Amino acid sequence: MRLRTREMYFLVPGLLLGILGLAAAASARTDTLQAGPWQTALGVAMVFVVMHAVLRLRAPYSDPYLVPIMAALTGIGLAELYRIDPALAGEQALWMTLGGIVFCAIIVFLPDHRVLERYRYVIGLTAVGLLVATMVFGTTVNGSRLWISVGGGQRVQLGELAKVLVVIFLAGYLREKREVLAIPTERRFGMNLPAFRHMAPILLFWGLALVVVVALNDFGTALLFFGVFLAMLYLATGRALYVGLGMGMFVAGSLFIWATVPRIAVRVGSWLNPFGDAQGNGYQMVQSLYALADGGLVGPGFGRALLVTPGGTPRIPELQTDFIFSAVADDLGFVGSVGVMLLFVLFMARGFAIATAARDGFSKLLAGGLTAVVGLQAFIIIGGIVRLVPLTGVTLPFMSYGGSSVVVNFGIVAILLIISQRSRQGLIDAVHGAPAA
Amino acid sequence: MNRSIKSLYLALVAGFGVLILMLGYWQVIAAGGLDERADNPYQFEKQRLVDRGRIISADKVVLAESIAYRQKGNRYYRRYYPQGALAAQVVGYATPQQGSTGLEQQYNQYLAGSYGAGAILDKLRAAQKEGADIRLTLDTRVQKTAEALIAGSRGAVVAIDPSTGQVLALASSPAFDLNQVASDFATIRKQSGAPLVNRGTQGRYPPGSTFKVVTATAALNSGKWNPSSTFDDPGKYVVDGQTIRNDGGSKFGVHNFTDALTFSINTTFAQVGKRLGPSRLGGEMTKFGFGRPVEIDLPSDEVAVSGRYRDGKLLSNTQRDEDAARIAIGQENLLVTPLQMAMVAGAVANGGRMQRPYLVKRVITKDGVVVKQQNPETLDSVASAYVSSEVSRMMQNVVREGTGTKAGLSGLSVAGKTGTAETGDPNRNQAWFIGFAPADNPKVAVAVVIEDTSGTGGQVAAPIAGEVMRTALSATPVQGEPQP
Repeated sequence: MRLRTREMYFLVPGLLLGILGLAAAASARTDTLQAGPWQTALGVAMVFVVMHAVLRLRAPYSDPYLVPIMAALTGIGLAELYRIDPALAGEQALWMTLGGIVFCAIIVFLPDHRVLERYRYVIGLTAVGLLVATMVFGTTVNGSRLWISVGGGQRVQLGELAKVLVVIFLAGYLREKREVLAIPTERRFGMNLPAFRHMAPILLFWGLALVVVVALNDFGTALLFFGVFLAMLYLATGRALYVGLGMGMFVAGSLFIWATVPRIAVRVGSWLNPFGDAQGNGYQMVQSLYALADGGLVGPGFGRALLVTPGGTPRIPELQTDFIFSAVADDLGFVGSVGVMLLFVLFMARGFAIATAARDGFSKLLAGGLTAVVGLQAFIIIGGIVRLVPLTGVTLPFMSYGGSSVVVNFGIVAILLIISQRSRQGLIDAVHGAPAA
Repeated sequence: MNRSIKSLYLALVAGFGVLILMLGYWQVIAAGGLDERADNPYQFEKQRLVDRGRIISADKVVLAESIAYRQKGNRYYRRYYPQGALAAQVVGYATPQQGSTGLEQQYNQYLAGSYGAGAILDKLRAAQKEGADIRLTLDTRVQKTAEALIAGSRGAVVAIDPSTGQVLALASSPAFDLNQVASDFATIRKQSGAPLVNRGTQGRYPPGSTFKVVTATAALNSGKWNPSSTFDDPGKYVVDGQTIRNDGGSKFGVHNFTDALTFSINTTFAQVGKRLGPSRLGGEMTKFGFGRPVEIDLPSDEVAVSGRYRDGKLLSNTQRDEDAARIAIGQENLLVTPLQMAMVAGAVANGGRMQRPYLVKRVITKDGVVVKQQNPETLDSVASAYVSSEVSRMMQNVVREGTGTKAGLSGLSVAGKTGTAETGDPNRNQAWFIGFAPADNPKVAVAVVIEDTSGTGGQVAAPIAGEVMRTALSATPVQGEPQP
């Protein structure tokens, strides 16, 4: 079966999940059978159909599973947003349309992702610039300074874009330095380490991550950046020691901040014992745990849990962004939320398969890094919700409400598919002979 | 590099595995404990999601129902009491803020649909819970009559079917509007006269002379006296250095035991009590149900125990050092509920067999499946059929020519006994009447108490009892479906 035909077959159930989910959420609102916001559903389906068509024309050999997985995740997310507030679903559909445009633009105008390697330092500096700009001009929302106001009441989360730029930079930088980093030349503290000048970027990055924690008051973003860095360092060098060292340094640095910055200490306290201050700092966590408990094994179904007060206010603050997973867990129960996690695992399986199939170091690092960034981000926010790690303010990729997040994640998938297309195209060319240039 | 890609993938998958385990902990293992935490708002919300069953009277009047409404896309139910204050203390309320009382509390599991194996299945299927209706023995026609007659005073009326124990009316005044509980509970609380108290089952009053029915039954049971036994009343009876006189200082001279009940002669009953002694009289009280909670289908904290109290503590019925002469005339720290006294009258009416009183005939789903049914049950035999018929005849005399003539109904024989418990303040008598009708084939037994009145039981309580009994006897069964 041709790859794009296979994609189409998987896209149909993926889209149906969202369309039926929206209809179910709408039906739950009125207790009568409703088609739901079919214009929105149809519009989003059209976006995916167009993306599919563009892939048929411009990247026919790219991985056929990623777009259906993305369709399923965004569909569930859209249905959950609709049940929280129909207006949110409408806006999210617009963001998805914008995401689809960005996706198609990348597929059409970036036929070869390897040009990115050439601009790695420009891209890296842009990433730093975006983060610095956020620190300086950022608007503080819910205690975290992650947004930049761009007029018209709109805010852009530059960190979302910065994370992709950082991955591109690291892919280029680590491809260049991987040999010198992988081969230890000096022995210090009983460990074989590379030369300090090669180590410097790691230490710099570590410092930056901690600065982000304090300046942006956002542990999640710091954890994500540092986690992606360690993941890519490991991909490049194959040395688990670096990961261990890096994590050790991060934990040590975090402990230092915890001990010295009272605001962070309060956060950690409400992570370890949210019920100790259930009406104050632990409120969000406690309400979310109640939602998880209420969902139980199966959950009442789309739109049927008591997530929103009769007044229309979500019971959990930031339900539509940071806590969208709690909404899924309440509506769809343990079974449904495990389903969502398995979709992320599938996403990672395909992303890493693309990285494995890629035939040059930069492509492997880029694909692996982009996959890791999505997987880690999902892990960090879900981990916060189940209290495995401190609660953080990162979005759940493809599902949380928010334009920056949606557009960037659509872009990530586009780049992954370009990498996939290039490696398979090359394989086919090698077998059948390159087409006349 | 492919080897490290695979390792990274496996590490992330392992991480998600941990997430799944922890999520399972919160959603399945810890869920029960979290659900029950007091500050969990879901419990409050879930109450509003349940289509609670209706409470329907014997004459098919809906006393409580749930009305669906929509709010921001969610369907909720609001409890509505179409009859407002009717039988308010019996029906009770069920609100998340004020808790629940009365039948709403006692039958909550049925009304809320959490009974039987279906409840577990519903939880698994996450199905909407639907409550079952409860069908009462209470008849709103009798209840309305009773409430109208005591409105404006403080008091209670209890009417039961003596042969079954079915409660026909259980009225308590002052009352409150059940619909006001959710909107303005503070005002109800502030009202004078404690409207939330169900005086029929919770009010403890000195029984006064109505207790002489118990003494008379005990006397006839002992075999030492019969209705024709003669006594001589010099106007006073001295026992343990204290003098017992008749009401208004009357002197009755030579009379028989029937006359003693008819005119409520204290000196004679005190003498009988003295000779029976605390042990024998106490034993008879135990048979009548004094000294232990009445097994009625209301929350146990809404049913008071009738018996002898000292410093707020219940004493044993057969406490030896007590003055049986005073107990016999309803004094000596005796405190009783109207329900208990209605049961005393009912036992005499029912040939000596006391029936367990109950308010709910059956619990029935909206599809007509009977989930629970209550049948008549005899609690104890207080006297032989012969003795009870003799007590009945004595009580008929009370209404025919004695203190209780105002309870009389034309064309029917009514049995009864008045009581006036004095508090020292002549304007604050507790007026009593207990009785039953028709005396030859009793269909209704009543107890009426009016607090803080200047009148006597015969003047104030007897006419109310007569009217309530007349209504109960004329209330024919209602066929068909409940009227909203």
